[in-house]
Amino acid sequence: MLQIRNLHVAIGGKPILKGIDLTIHPGEVHAIMGPNGSGKSTLAQVLAGRDGYDITAGSVQYLERDLLPLTPEERARAGIFLAFQYPLEIPGVANVQLLRTALNGQRRSRGEAEMDAIDFLDYVKDKLALLGMDDSFLYRSVNEGFSGGEKKRNEILQMAVLEPRLAILDETDSGLDIDALHLVADGVNSLRRPQRAIILVTHYQRLLNFIVPHQVHVLAGGRIVRSGGRELALELEAKGYAWLSEEISDAADFMETYL
Amino acid sequence: MIPPTAYLDALSHIDAPSNITAARQDFLGKFLQAGLPDSHQEDWRYTSLAHLERMPLHAPEAMPETLPALEDYPGALLAYSDDRLVWQDTTLPATVLSTLSDAIGSGMPAAFGSLAGNGSLTQLNAALWREGACLRVPAGERLRQPVFLRFAAAEPDAMLYPRVFIHMAVGSDAILVENFLGDPGIEYWQNPVTEIILEAGARLTHLRIIEDSKLATHTGLTAVHQASDSSYRALNLTLGGQVARHELKLTLAGAGAEARLDGVFIVEGRRSAEQHLRIVHLAPRGNSRTFYRGLADGRGRGVFDGRVEVRAHADGSDAQQSSRNLLLSPHAEIDAKPQLEIYADDVKCSHGATVGSLDEDALFYLRSRGIDSETARRLLLEAFVGEALGLLDDTGLRDWMMPRLLARMPRSHSEESRP
Repeated sequence: MLQIRNLHVAIGGKPILKGIDLTIHPGEVHAIMGPNGSGKSTLAQVLAGRDGYDITAGSVQYLERDLLPLTPEERARAGIFLAFQYPLEIPGVANVQLLRTALNGQRRSRGEAEMDAIDFLDYVKDKLALLGMDDSFLYRSVNEGFSGGEKKRNEILQMAVLEPRLAILDETDSGLDIDALHLVADGVNSLRRPQRAIILVTHYQRLLNFIVPHQVHVLAGGRIVRSGGRELALELEAKGYAWLSEEISDAADFMETYL
Repeated sequence: MIPPTAYLDALSHIDAPSNITAARQDFLGKFLQAGLPDSHQEDWRYTSLAHLERMPLHAPEAMPETLPALEDYPGALLAYSDDRLVWQDTTLPATVLSTLSDAIGSGMPAAFGSLAGNGSLTQLNAALWREGACLRVPAGERLRQPVFLRFAAAEPDAMLYPRVFIHMAVGSDAILVENFLGDPGIEYWQNPVTEIILEAGARLTHLRIIEDSKLATHTGLTAVHQASDSSYRALNLTLGGQVARHELKLTLAGAGAEARLDGVFIVEGRRSAEQHLRIVHLAPRGNSRTFYRGLADGRGRGVFDGRVEVRAHADGSDAQQSSRNLLLSPHAEIDAKPQLEIYADDVKCSHGATVGSLDEDALFYLRSRGIDSETARRLLLEAFVGEALGLLDDTGLRDWMMPRLLARMPRSHSEESRP
């Protein structure tokens, strides 16, 4: 479904990602972990099509097409969804308006009929229930005055409504108390499908107790320095990122010396 | 300069009974002495009226022959074309709503002319107004339907001086809509004056819409005088005119009076829109709220100039001003100048003004949900101006107004907005 090959990304001439290779198949859940500044969020933003990043080398194939030339809205319509680490507040745009405009934009692009206001309300109410949100969320301005937990739940609500093929959740666990974490994790788990892949970008192992990944990758210094099963996350939690730092610096030395 | 004969000729076009010529000649004399305002005057430093000097301006000659197709106006309507009444649709008694010349025919309304002040353009209006409207709502009465005054221009190079007088008696309540517009593609100059008196406890909701042609000049004044516990709520929409300037002079003269002044202006191309607000708190416990939103695209130019004065003894006054503006092109310009002058104790005053550009992060957020950039931009702009449009819901005029407003929203990626 997604093949990232030797992806190099820089911001303002400064290299951030230095050769990412990653392959994800339908139905899989991959966790990308790493210390702050390792490039996790950059990878998420680049996949969603954010401006301001220079792709200096490499390629990204998504569903047998070249992802990188596509605009953010084209990617979304092709089934990519990014849950933001810091969801934006948009005063004056009602949540329901965003959700319906987005869904209908996607449906139009697939040649499907748009959903009218009444059908949409039926459709979205089921999704609200899934995330323990009441109807009033629909009529509030997008994320305005939402608590941290409400913002993150709202991101997952958008995911539930848009039904993406590839969901990228960027630090969706950050700033959540344990109850909110449960709600968010239950929501995400209920959205797991054989055809849907999920990338969990996270600093902490905690989320992975609730959403169990097939694979864990550790990103450090702009490279994936380790990949493994779930036990890698547990090992990281036990030993901390410092445990890897020796290997990371060894790897960097190796690359600088020989490549 | 415009030859004085053009104005004298206009004076000769005014019909009885409103041709009170001695007073009019006096006003005209004062105007001719002062001339058109120029940018050396502080209040006019942003405005140039030099183009008026080059136009063959004249009083409209021919009576408009055919009635223009009128939009649906959900209320009582007086429709004017080139300063003549061409249509009315009202069941209100003439003692409540009439043309200004009819009102004057049965005696000069008390306090008419007392609020307008002595600006030179106001004196020109006082000298040359030809027709207008008079609304006098009796004590305790509430008008069920809005009153619409539609001032249209049809003759190229016409000078138009609509004049409106509103008297809200004790405890009365009404909704007033003033709509200024003109045939697309013609040049003209619209210089209206509206005086509004609110007696104790009276309430007026006032929607004022400038939709003049893209080549027109609009220099309007609204003067409001509020007695105790009266309420004046206004929404000023500036959507048209090559040069559009609206001055709002408001005096909170009685204790506990409240004013809420909302506004939206949209400029693109080489259009300019200016809002000059002069709010004076004279009495204790007055409350004024100013809430304006501005959009400038292309080489458009906007001005928000808001001044609040809280005079001595106006204790317990509360004055808030907010002016937020978006520049949609690198060549657009908006000057936001809120000012507070406070001479009383125990007052709550604040003002905030921002000029920024569309939030790229918010745009990306919407696009990442599959909303195309054009729609995303439109959603954000509509939300931005929407914050100032609450009055449309309070008056039930949202459905009437929104299509007209949305038609004036800047288009995405227009030629003009490209760098």
